Amino acid sequence: METKVTAAPIAKTTLIGQRVKKPDAPDKATGKTRYINDMVLPQMLIGKVLFAGRPHARIIRIDTAAAAKLPGVYAVLTGKDAAGLKFGFVRDNVALKDKVRCEHDEIAAVAAETEEIASRALELIDVEFEDLPGVFTPEAGAATGAPLVQEKFPGNKSLSFEFKHGDLAAAERASDFVVDNVFRPHHVTHCCMGTSCAIADFDHNGKLTIWTQTQYPYNYKMDLAPALGIDPGDIRVIQPPIGGAFGSKLDVYPYEPIAALLAKKTGRPVKVIYTREEEFRASPTRQAAIIHMRTGCSRDGTLTFRSADVLLDNGAYTSWGPTIPVIMMRTTSGHYRVPVVDFKAQAIYTNNPYAGSFRGYGNVQTTYATAQQMDMLADLVDIEPLEFHLKNAQKSGEYTPQQSFLRECALAECLETAAAASDYSRKRKEYAAARELPGRYKKGIGLASSIHNAGGAKIHKSDGIGTMLKVDDFARVTVITGASEIGQGIDAVITLIVAEELGVPLEHVTIVNTDSDIAPWDVGVHASRTTFIAGNGTRRAAKKAKAQILNAAAKMLGEPLETLELRGGSVVRDACGTPLIELERLLRRMHFQTEPELVMVSDYYEPNSEPEGAKHVSDHSAAYSHAVHIAEITVDTLTGEIKVDKVTVAQDVGRVINRMGLEGQIEGGIAIGLGYALSENMRLEQGLLKNPCFRDYKLITAPEMPPLDLHFIESNCAEGPYGAKGISELPTIVIAPAIANALHNATGVRIFNPPLSPEKVARAIFDAKQAGS
Amino acid sequence: MQEISSYLAPRRLDQALQAMADGAATVLCGGTDLALQTESGARHYKAKLLNIRRIDGLTGIEVKADQVRIGAATTVSDIRGNPELATIAPVLVEAAEHFASEQIRNAASLGGNICNASPAGDMIPPLLVLGASVELACWRDGAVQTRLMPLEGFFVSPGKTVKLAEELLTAVVFDRPAADFVARFKKSGPRPALEISTVSLALGARLSNGKLSEVRVAMGSVAPTPLRARHVEAVLEGKALDAASIAAAVASAAEDAKPIDDVRASAWYRGHLVRVFVEEVLNDVRGN
Ligand SMILES: Cc1cc2nc3c(=O)[nH]c(=O)nc-3n(C[C@H](O)[C@H](O)[C@H](O)COP(=O)(O)OP(=O)(O)OC[C@H]3O[C@@H](n4cnc5c(N)ncnc54)[C@H](O)[C@@H]3O)c2cc1C
Repeated sequence: METKVTAAPIAKTTLIGQRVKKPDAPDKATGKTRYINDMVLPQMLIGKVLFAGRPHARIIRIDTAAAAKLPGVYAVLTGKDAAGLKFGFVRDNVALKDKVRCEHDEIAAVAAETEEIASRALELIDVEFEDLPGVFTPEAGAATGAPLVQEKFPGNKSLSFEFKHGDLAAAERASDFVVDNVFRPHHVTHCCMGTSCAIADFDHNGKLTIWTQTQYPYNYKMDLAPALGIDPGDIRVIQPPIGGAFGSKLDVYPYEPIAALLAKKTGRPVKVIYTREEEFRASPTRQAAIIHMRTGCSRDGTLTFRSADVLLDNGAYTSWGPTIPVIMMRTTSGHYRVPVVDFKAQAIYTNNPYAGSFRGYGNVQTTYATAQQMDMLADLVDIEPLEFHLKNAQKSGEYTPQQSFLRECALAECLETAAAASDYSRKRKEYAAARELPGRYKKGIGLASSIHNAGGAKIHKSDGIGTMLKVDDFARVTVITGASEIGQGIDAVITLIVAEELGVPLEHVTIVNTDSDIAPWDVGVHASRTTFIAGNGTRRAAKKAKAQILNAAAKMLGEPLETLELRGGSVVRDACGTPLIELERLLRRMHFQTEPELVMVSDYYEPNSEPEGAKHVSDHSAAYSHAVHIAEITVDTLTGEIKVDKVTVAQDVGRVINRMGLEGQIEGGIAIGLGYALSENMRLEQGLLKNPCFRDYKLITAPEMPPLDLHFIESNCAEGPYGAKGISELPTIVIAPAIANALHNATGVRIFNPPLSPEKVARAIFDAKQAGS
Repeated sequence: MQEISSYLAPRRLDQALQAMADGAATVLCGGTDLALQTESGARHYKAKLLNIRRIDGLTGIEVKADQVRIGAATTVSDIRGNPELATIAPVLVEAAEHFASEQIRNAASLGGNICNASPAGDMIPPLLVLGASVELACWRDGAVQTRLMPLEGFFVSPGKTVKLAEELLTAVVFDRPAADFVARFKKSGPRPALEISTVSLALGARLSNGKLSEVRVAMGSVAPTPLRARHVEAVLEGKALDAASIAAAVASAAEDAKPIDDVRASAWYRGHLVRVFVEEVLNDVRGN
């Protein structure tokens, strides 16, 4: 076939590492996006939940007659309507309760014509409680004779985890220095801008469609089904745009089966949407914990062992949250080269709100401890801290005691880069020397680092993803993927990868990923896995499509296959860039020729990692990554206020894919981490939340965001897409201990129970002065 | 359930006052306190909801030769951006500067801040040290009646004032400060923006030849109402501003501040902050 060559050559360029905007950004920024919270279906009813409002009680009597009679009310459900429909990680939860175990326990629900009627109906429900003594800390829960939160779990014991490696007693004897502290990380919550919301609708074949905010649609079906007593196959999950998840939607929460039970009862779609106060009270928390950690080293600064004895505040039910020790132990054993490890964790039921998963997944709490103990040890050994960190930093090719294989390890490079960029060593010495000098305001600098899985985490049997890709007659590409978009930016990454591989404009790529009846399997947005896993899946699918297209082109044009390339919307000669045929025309010819072909391919990608296993000795992620944060702060030693002046970040990202998305994830991650470090705190008193509003639950706001100096270290991960690693959790994990170390550098005080609120800081400094004088 | 049977937005003061005469109207100005309180159920609407923002003459800052008058519906943003206030009463502008956020300041009124009677109301301590009075108006005997009373006597307890249900706060007035008047405002909270004061403190005094006179010190969030710190004032009155008098003032602060533990801070921390702020503002005025 003959082709006219008129166009100019198309130069080779790459999108990898460029700044690409999120495809949905214009609609979100202008208010056009219709979030799930905005959705209204024909005939839709509003569901509202009656919360117990007390931490531990028996329900003596619940009378719903008056509520049911209210005009506009279509259903009133109580515990008996969900009896036996157990769900949750250890099947200890039901959608509607007949006993109260925490303040937000859902004890009744109504579906009504309007929200106002639903609220009025709730007021008409008459409940008689008999309050029971409760347990509000893990220690209290673990004490002998403590009241039982869950009757079937003696000793209030939920999940437990253990990992031991090497001879602890011998390692302790061989240590010249040991630090031994008890850290008490606190309760915080996700504060998604979009409050929890689900809309459920049953058809007459018994199939449930649920519009929900979930970030793990497939396992979600498995987790939701038992709460309704239906087959997971009968659930269709639709994921409209949402206002944030951060791990909170990595689980089924009771409002979802409640919406479905109400829909079943009424035969109409039912929407449950939380108010901000309900969101604060009834959505998951990050685990509070008590971490007794010890780390030892020898006189020359070589780490000898680390032990951690962890009690987790499980709350009243076991969600996915209490599995965080899986990650906590990886950090305990793998944060620097630790030859001997002893890790134990026990989650204890309490009458507090129950914990879920949250960006950082246990590593936020653990790194708060490990990174401070590294700082303490450096001072004890009296060694330059950077040298101490470098001495113990793992290198490429090393294994951790749990057999995490650090194929490409850039910890040393991260340390050196961040320290040089911030002039860390000099400042740390200078500020420490200035501690005792007069002056109200003190400067401090603190370094922290951590390790996290960066190539998925095989805690399920699979960590894989399905991808389908089609290219239509107009050279428009549709990617049908299991990867969920929850704001993190996988949409931009997928678009970028397809445009990179197929040489089409970014705007010509469409993603279909919001309907479980269409999109293939994926295990969800978690473990910093999506760019790694879905990036690989997309790339593999795109390469298959590309092979099909170029083969057809080679045949049609009579050109050698290996000389052809896709670029700028055309098939070109790779060497010179000369366009041979426009992609659209080629595709139409392929389609309409005598032996017609359509370009539609599929791929299943399973990363090269091993299942976690009960012994926790496995290479559970296809990649691991490190980050170093250096925080520079000014402390008002009288009011205790900490101003963060600057944060220097060096993170091993493998390879930058979408630079703008990467920056956004690091900035957002640090905002969450700073809130954790400085101001966010769920004030629970006897299981009751005292600050369920943004006035008193203090997020970091724009003026407190410090300037960030970001350094991306590219270690080129062999398994990652274009060399990339997962990046999204480390920024949240590392910042808090960097601030805590800076506080110590500035003032000499350490605070073991975050947040480092002005009051705590002022008190600690005041007490230290009293003790000193 | 809250049932509002009528919503009124009059243009004239007498219309508003007549609507309030039976004591059955809820006054709405910026709504930045009211909306939150009714939403949470802490407070209920009365039958009439009366929007006072359109009333002629209720908004505006008037600086006369001897007196300053600020209409009750004047927003915190208006105060923050007023150049005359910035020269004659910068302490008020300073408080407006540290108030909430841009959006809230655009809605929040001075009158609302006072009538809400929160111990943490940020505009109150500066007004107390300016010696401000409030003007209250009502409809009685077929006419508008007004009375003027010192702001200091206005507060009873959190959310409660001596204002009668049928009275509207129409303006805040204070004497134009003397040329040697100095004043400072300090507020604390863990965040620089959008923060309810953990403790606030204002100082106002005349300073000539290094000596303080007509000293007024006001504190917020250390007692059920904003208060004048009489002990601190007495220690400083007529004294030269030096290390000794500052130390004495700091030492006496505890006699005025009787804070409690609550969800925002402990009593210890509030007491501590008051001492820190007393020292800080006095040192600042002293010029070091
Ligand atoms: C996010 C946020 C941040 C905030 N930050 C601060 C802060 O930093 N500092 C601070 O001090 N406050 C703060 N507030 C509280 C609030 O904004 C202020 O108290 C504000 O000045 C109230 O004014 P308003 O016009 O909105 O009052 P409204 O809410 O309209 O009214 C408040 C009360 O006063 C009554 N009222 C109003 N005007 C009159 C009148 N003229 N006569 C009689 N009664 C009247 C109303 O009936 C109501 O009881 C904040 C509030 C929010 C929501």
